[in-house]
Amino acid sequence: MKIEEIRSEQLGESFYDIDHPSGLKILVMPKKDYSGAYAIFATKYGSIDNALPQEDGSYKIIPEGTAHFLEHKLFESEDLDAFERFAKTGASANAYTSFGRTGYLFSCTGNFKKNLEILLDFVQHPYFTQQTVEKEQGIIGQEIMMYKDAPDWECTFNVLRALYHKHPVKVDIAGSCESIAEITADLLYECYNSFYDLGNMVLSIAGNVNVDDVIEVADRVIEKKANGSLIKRMPIDEPKEIVTDYIEEKLPVSAPQFILGFKENHENPECSTKEEIAMDMLLDIIAGRSSALYKRLLDMKLINTTFDFEYFTGFGYSCILFSGESADPKAACEEIKKEIAFFKENGIDEKVFSRTRKKLYGRMIMGLNDVDELANNMALSYFADETIFTDFDVYKEITAQYLEELLSGTLLNEYSALAVILPQEG
Amino acid sequence: MTIHEIANGVRLVSVETEKFKTCCVNFTIATPLDGNISAKAILPYLLHRRCKKYPDFSAFNGVLDELYGASISAGVMKKGEILLLNFSLTAIDDRFALGDDKVTAQCVELLTDLVFDPIVDDGAFPADIVEEEKRLLIEKLEAEKNDKRRYALMRCEEIMFANEAYGRHRYGTVESIKELTGKDIYAEWKNLLKTATMQITMAGSASPDFVKSILKKRFSRIKRDVVPCETEFLPGYPKPNYVCETQNVKQGKLVMGFRTGMRNSEDNLEAMRVAVDIFGGGTYSKLFSIVREKMSLCYYCSAALNSNKGIVMLQSGIENENEEKAKNEILNQLKEVASGNFSDDDFSASIKSMCDAVLSYNDTPEAICAWYSSLFLKENPESPEDRIEKIRKVDKSQVIRAAKTIMLDTVFMLRGSGEGEDDEN
Repeated sequence: MKIEEIRSEQLGESFYDIDHPSGLKILVMPKKDYSGAYAIFATKYGSIDNALPQEDGSYKIIPEGTAHFLEHKLFESEDLDAFERFAKTGASANAYTSFGRTGYLFSCTGNFKKNLEILLDFVQHPYFTQQTVEKEQGIIGQEIMMYKDAPDWECTFNVLRALYHKHPVKVDIAGSCESIAEITADLLYECYNSFYDLGNMVLSIAGNVNVDDVIEVADRVIEKKANGSLIKRMPIDEPKEIVTDYIEEKLPVSAPQFILGFKENHENPECSTKEEIAMDMLLDIIAGRSSALYKRLLDMKLINTTFDFEYFTGFGYSCILFSGESADPKAACEEIKKEIAFFKENGIDEKVFSRTRKKLYGRMIMGLNDVDELANNMALSYFADETIFTDFDVYKEITAQYLEELLSGTLLNEYSALAVILPQEG
Repeated sequence: MTIHEIANGVRLVSVETEKFKTCCVNFTIATPLDGNISAKAILPYLLHRRCKKYPDFSAFNGVLDELYGASISAGVMKKGEILLLNFSLTAIDDRFALGDDKVTAQCVELLTDLVFDPIVDDGAFPADIVEEEKRLLIEKLEAEKNDKRRYALMRCEEIMFANEAYGRHRYGTVESIKELTGKDIYAEWKNLLKTATMQITMAGSASPDFVKSILKKRFSRIKRDVVPCETEFLPGYPKPNYVCETQNVKQGKLVMGFRTGMRNSEDNLEAMRVAVDIFGGGTYSKLFSIVREKMSLCYYCSAALNSNKGIVMLQSGIENENEEKAKNEILNQLKEVASGNFSDDDFSASIKSMCDAVLSYNDTPEAICAWYSSLFLKENPESPEDRIEKIRKVDKSQVIRAAKTIMLDTVFMLRGSGEGEDDEN
């Protein structure tokens, strides 16, 4: 078994990178003086993975929402479900499905080995029957309806539907009532056997633990062997163009809500860490709390403090989203576009750039505090073929000039769309 | 943990630790939930965005960027019938500054500049700032009804506490915010500096000494005359209130408010915590394992104790037609707890899970600050370890006795009308 300690001298921090004989990657960051620990067992399988790889290299299209459905079902077993097992130890357990991955996790301040055993065990033992699948279709159907009452969620998918023709990122993570109706127990097993192969997974742990305990439990509880390595995702042939530049819906909200999205087109399906960090800086410079735009929008009463922005990117999709509440969303968007044009013409002030870089450094440090954040970020970095320390090297390479080059090719009006949720009368 | 007296009714609570890469400072101002609530509630928001030294909003945020992205946030909370105005600062620990920057000291200076040295114009806060903050607070208040879960809870509390101070919203009303003037708010600020109970809580590697001296200097010029904060604890009503509303939402929300019979915030506290947890806490609770999982009567269903007011609020998402069934089953499950019909496994699951949650407060500076800030009225605030001791001492018979005193007071139902399904009239 290969165990390597990865250190960052600058941060005085290290973690262990372990190649378990089963083929599972295990990452452990011991934090001796913490009370608790957090562990996540994750697969690189999320809502955008609606193509199941076949032996001959082709892909089989599966219903939208299958990853999320599988996550719900995996908590169940023939006798005690996972929640009941964790209740005996006092740990708090949960699971989530995002666009690009599914994670099963627990946090605890005692009984760590027992908890890890439960986690590894239940994720390795699926139990799906037609009957339990049918029951779940009702439950998840309700969950989908509940999200339709959440205006910010609805607005997000509206803007994604306006930007994307084909990419599955435009579909609710839970799928639709129609799509999940097609899910069967057999299909779940098929997906499980492929996406939950240990080679497509990672176990990431941070907190008051030691490496020997983790390995001891893993040796004992992991029964399977990986068949392969990280799964290659099916490329999606998404056109450059957007679907529509405006989409609106009415819901019982107090004031109009909006998201302005700019679709990007990259040669590679995933953008680099450097691009991602640089884009975060660029957006902060254009629209952050210390920007002229933020102040102007407030003065013009076009936004309130819910105003925010995000570089929203993953396999085969990337876009910039500005969101907020506004009495006049269209006017707010005009101001945002004006400011982007201003920066394109005038470039980036060196002083503002260096201040923003300092902020970025601080925020990266802040991200290394909590055990849940640490474990999640270690897992995420692994799926991106990096470590959690990569950002600290990459950010130093970024210059104001690099941001300007980046800006010249992005935030283009012809690829932008506005989604608005309007208040319903009565 | 150390406690340092700063002035009459003002103290500094400090947890010195090198465990973290950040440092957190909370500045908590406690005042009775009465009088012009809006004038009090708008203060932390108004003060935290600018000060005399950095009057320009953008420039002030630029200073925070220079301080490695330090953040200062403002908040308003109700704790029983006490209004808490809070400022919260998070910054990187000095050990990680590039060069010799004294980040914590500079941030604490900045924080006290915000609280003690605002922009004042002839005995009032400037009109343009006040108007902007009024708009932001009104929009914040109105946006709360967008989240239906929260909205239903708020409505239930409004109805249940219609005759108590606790029924007032922490921001007041849209009308009372609209009426605010720079003069009112300034007078309220002056008044709070004199009368409010305050606690500054810090967690990080920095020594409390310099914070202490900064604070002492600030308070040396203020003549303090503290107004005590108290909360009224009422028994339940024999005949519960019921109110129902309909909105165009897809999922209905059922909220039930209970009174626990607690006579003060410490009365039978630990046993009550366990009783409510077994009733509606974790996945092992009656509400989760039976009402939700086994009977599929709701999509979520949980109950939480608010010991500061001696109440339990239960929230649940249900389908309209399940309302009666869900209500009856919920009350039945409460009866089950009160009759001792819960297993030793459920009991020990509850104790373990509560202890686990309490201990994890030690693992972030924000949680440590939140823990001690919430104990600002206690002369000797307990540590998470102290709390665990007490929880572990609770036995089954105490839980049963506590559950017996929980009485239903108010039911609020938000029914979904679901588009297209309206009855034709």
